[in-house]
Amino acid sequence: MIDEKIIPHPSPLIPHFSMIKKTIKYLSSLRFTILLISLLGMIFALGLVVPQQKLLKSIYLEWQKSSPSLVAILDTLGLTTIYSSPITITLWLLFFLNLSLVLWQRWPIVKSRIILSETKITDPETAGGYPFRKCYTLPATTSGDTVLSRVKGGGFTILGDAAGFYGVKNRLSPLAFMLFHVSFFLILLGGLISVYTEFIGYLDLAQGESFQGELSRYNASPSPKIPEIGSPPDVTLTVKSIIPRVEHNTPTGISIVLADAKGGTHEVDINRPYTTEHTSFVFKHLGVSPLFVVKDNSGREIEGSYIKLDVLKMKPDHFTLAGFTFTATFYPDYVLDDGKRATRSMEFNNPVFFIAVEQYGKKIAEGLVPKNGALEFAGYRLEMRDMPFWVRFYVVKQRGLSILYAGFALATIGVIWRLLFYRREILGAVREQNGVLSLVVAGRSEYYKSLAEDEFVKLFGEIVGETVSEER
Amino acid sequence: MAFWEMVFYWVALVSYALAAGGFIYSFVFKNPRTMNKLTLLIAAGFLGHTAAIVARFVATGHLPWSGHYEYALMGGWFIILGTLFVGWQNKLLQGLAAATTPLVVVMMGYGYMQNPALTPMAASLKTIWLYIHVYFAWLSFGAYSLAMAAGVVFLLKQKSESLAVPNPSYDRFPSLGRLDELIFRYVVFGFITDTIMISAGAIWAKDLWGSYWAWDPVETWSLISWLTYGITIHLRVTFGWREKRLAWLAIAALSTVIICFFGVNLVVNSSLHVFQVR
Repeated sequence: MIDEKIIPHPSPLIPHFSMIKKTIKYLSSLRFTILLISLLGMIFALGLVVPQQKLLKSIYLEWQKSSPSLVAILDTLGLTTIYSSPITITLWLLFFLNLSLVLWQRWPIVKSRIILSETKITDPETAGGYPFRKCYTLPATTSGDTVLSRVKGGGFTILGDAAGFYGVKNRLSPLAFMLFHVSFFLILLGGLISVYTEFIGYLDLAQGESFQGELSRYNASPSPKIPEIGSPPDVTLTVKSIIPRVEHNTPTGISIVLADAKGGTHEVDINRPYTTEHTSFVFKHLGVSPLFVVKDNSGREIEGSYIKLDVLKMKPDHFTLAGFTFTATFYPDYVLDDGKRATRSMEFNNPVFFIAVEQYGKKIAEGLVPKNGALEFAGYRLEMRDMPFWVRFYVVKQRGLSILYAGFALATIGVIWRLLFYRREILGAVREQNGVLSLVVAGRSEYYKSLAEDEFVKLFGEIVGETVSEER
Repeated sequence: MAFWEMVFYWVALVSYALAAGGFIYSFVFKNPRTMNKLTLLIAAGFLGHTAAIVARFVATGHLPWSGHYEYALMGGWFIILGTLFVGWQNKLLQGLAAATTPLVVVMMGYGYMQNPALTPMAASLKTIWLYIHVYFAWLSFGAYSLAMAAGVVFLLKQKSESLAVPNPSYDRFPSLGRLDELIFRYVVFGFITDTIMISAGAIWAKDLWGSYWAWDPVETWSLISWLTYGITIHLRVTFGWREKRLAWLAIAALSTVIICFFGVNLVVNSSLHVFQVR
């Protein structure tokens, strides 16, 4: 058989391979990570300067009115929806590609660093990469075994014996690098799941009102966001009571009691939404829903109903009853101040409506209507018989939150583990020269050279009985 | 502002201002002898500062966690606490107060110019997450401020050492190598507490606003700040950025935190982080 020698031919594919290799190398480099993070940071900062369509709708619309051509250009460039613009998405994709490549490349290094192997035992006098080196004379009473047990007592895992040993503290801390970076993927996964399964709607419910999950009951503006995957919330509830709390003119809480389909009750407050079936009912807004009744001259009720009015913060609101249009201004703690209508505070101590009545676009009467009071006008009478509250819930349904929170937890654990429980390595050997025992050591640490050197000096100083007085 | 709160607030502010002036004097006139006494002055101011917080707590029934005035009151307290703590642990670090006290004086002065009225705690702030979120926010601000202080001291000391006759005031600080590592350690501590702060904030936001992340200006700046310090750590660990470059990074990066805490709400009134405090 002829022994054929294979002569490599220059392949046209080789330049391509080397280019791909170079590209992968760049995509997985830290230089690229820093570039991406810096670009993302700049984009986030830009989003703070340019009014965003979804976040600052009113400012954006005003701005669009005043500078239509500039806004049109920025719209085209995606700068008014910057956090979800194609350039931002591309940067995020590259960021996660970079992260994947880094994890893939670093895993063998991490593995080799955490594996305990006899090959790590080398001569402390000549081993490279150990900036701390010292030789101590051991007291006659201190044996090699004592040295090893004292080093172990200092939290080091030891390989070898007194003649030559390798010690490592926080051996597994390189795993925290993986953990921290994997947490980004969990946050991404949780975030993506939550975005695609997200339903958002605003729902106004007054005291005593029930809701059976009907999509039509959600406020038309802003319109509900329908999930791309999954269905809107299927929740049944009744608002049993609404009690706002205001102290010294500061809203200090609200107590909303809800009853579910099974009759169970749940209390909602600020910071305490009602959560069921991946759906949260978050309190957003408060209003009053007085029961107004219009009667005629004979005292016959013509029309009456509970009306949700958005009148807090002295904002007038309108309603129509029995063919009349009413404009209501609300004073929660009514007082006449220098002949002018005013409120003493935001506390509901003396709730009074100031009502203006219009017919055919013409004001025909106006006056005050306290709770259980009435306003006479044009032969009619407007009575306020009750004054419960209504609330606006921000209803949000999304899945994937547990994955997202697991990501947060993992990121926190990873960063603490990696940066606080940093790795220290020592090499040591107990040697005898002219009948005198000496301990030769070398040490190194991640991140904190001085801190670790102080620790080594203290540890070995205690072993050999030296008093340590070091600059810190 | 409660009466005793105002008295102690001014005691603290004047003590810190005098200490800051004393440090400037000792550096400019190359007289390091006054430095030890200045730490005592800061400690006295800190007692007044703590008393002011206690007086406000007694008057309102809650810790001061919200609004610009309370940010300044608590933030300044955490920074001085950190300064005294590291100075107590290591006497050579007492001089970091040279950079942190002027920062606190400016913060407290600014806070006082905002509305220091006593108000009940807003409903939105009544949650355990407030304490976790804000406590870690202040810890990170304190640590980043110390990193900045160590950076300033590093640069001044390095400049002094290059002169024919170095300023003896800098002898009271650790060596340049140690200062360099200290900057990094404070950045790391700040980064860890910053991470916890952002995570806790997201969980709280879900309960309060229904969304764990809303690209609110304060949220966005906190992310920018976190990324900036993340880059700083990577530059140090992987690219070996040390000494002068790291010192400048620590000084520059603090601006992102200051914007996040104080700057955003000055220029934007749409932030969800403007709580119902009169």
